[in-house]
Amino acid sequence: MDNEEREGAELDIVLESIGGFSLIGLSGEVDVYSAPKLRETIKDLVDDGKYNIVVDLEKVAFLDSTGLGVLVGGLKRVKHHDGELGIICKQEKILRIFRITGLTKVFPIYSSRDELLANVEEA
Amino acid sequence: MILPGDEGKAFELEMPAKAKYVGLARLLAGSIARRMRFTEESIDDLKIAISEMCTNAIVHTGNGKEGKAPVLVRFLAGDGFLTIEVRDQGPGFHPSRVLDQESNDLLSKGFGIPLIKSLVDVFECDSHPQGGTTVSITKYLDGENGET
Repeated sequence: MDNEEREGAELDIVLESIGGFSLIGLSGEVDVYSAPKLRETIKDLVDDGKYNIVVDLEKVAFLDSTGLGVLVGGLKRVKHHDGELGIICKQEKILRIFRITGLTKVFPIYSSRDELLANVEEA
Repeated sequence: MILPGDEGKAFELEMPAKAKYVGLARLLAGSIARRMRFTEESIDDLKIAISEMCTNAIVHTGNGKEGKAPVLVRFLAGDGFLTIEVRDQGPGFHPSRVLDQESNDLLSKGFGIPLIKSLVDVFECDSHPQGGTTVSITKYLDGENGET
């Protein structure tokens, strides 16, 4: 990453696998500058045949409507393949944005990775 | 209340219409709001609002295309309120398109404008076809004096 790229919001992405889900771990800020990186990550997973995805927002310091739009776009992609896209988050300032926009009714939201795993085991 | 003796003074940031500068506007908004003793929740609200406003301005101004006019961000730190105005020189539109946008349009028309409206006390939009757009928000320190 060169200096030009570092001038905007920083967003680090780590990919893992958990309970049959592809987990996208985010840390940093998700805005109009950094959101394309998340969009490409989701697109690459779906192109790779991975339709059950969960995005961990616990280390996200900022998320705006551009980030929400990318998550909704990702949800549409996986739904097209009968998959699902969940969210891991218990940060009130992030959850508030999901509530205001009505997206708590659209995404499965887990408070932790443990809750996600417990949910998978029950299913 | 920004610094003793400078109440009511405006601060301006002129920035290139490029996505990478939205974080800078957000940082400045957060710093001014914190200095004015807004609560952390209100600071978060203001950071989201300015991020949405600057994102719209940048997208409408060509999102980084060369030769485009800069985006002007103006902060007015008043006695008990902070007003932030974002002005672009994009193509403009009829303001009713955003002023009338309701939350049930979210999935089809985007989350930005309804989100701003829900987080601030006053939201105003002035736009003219071919004449640019000015969006202004105000948040009160006590969160109770403004219109919703």
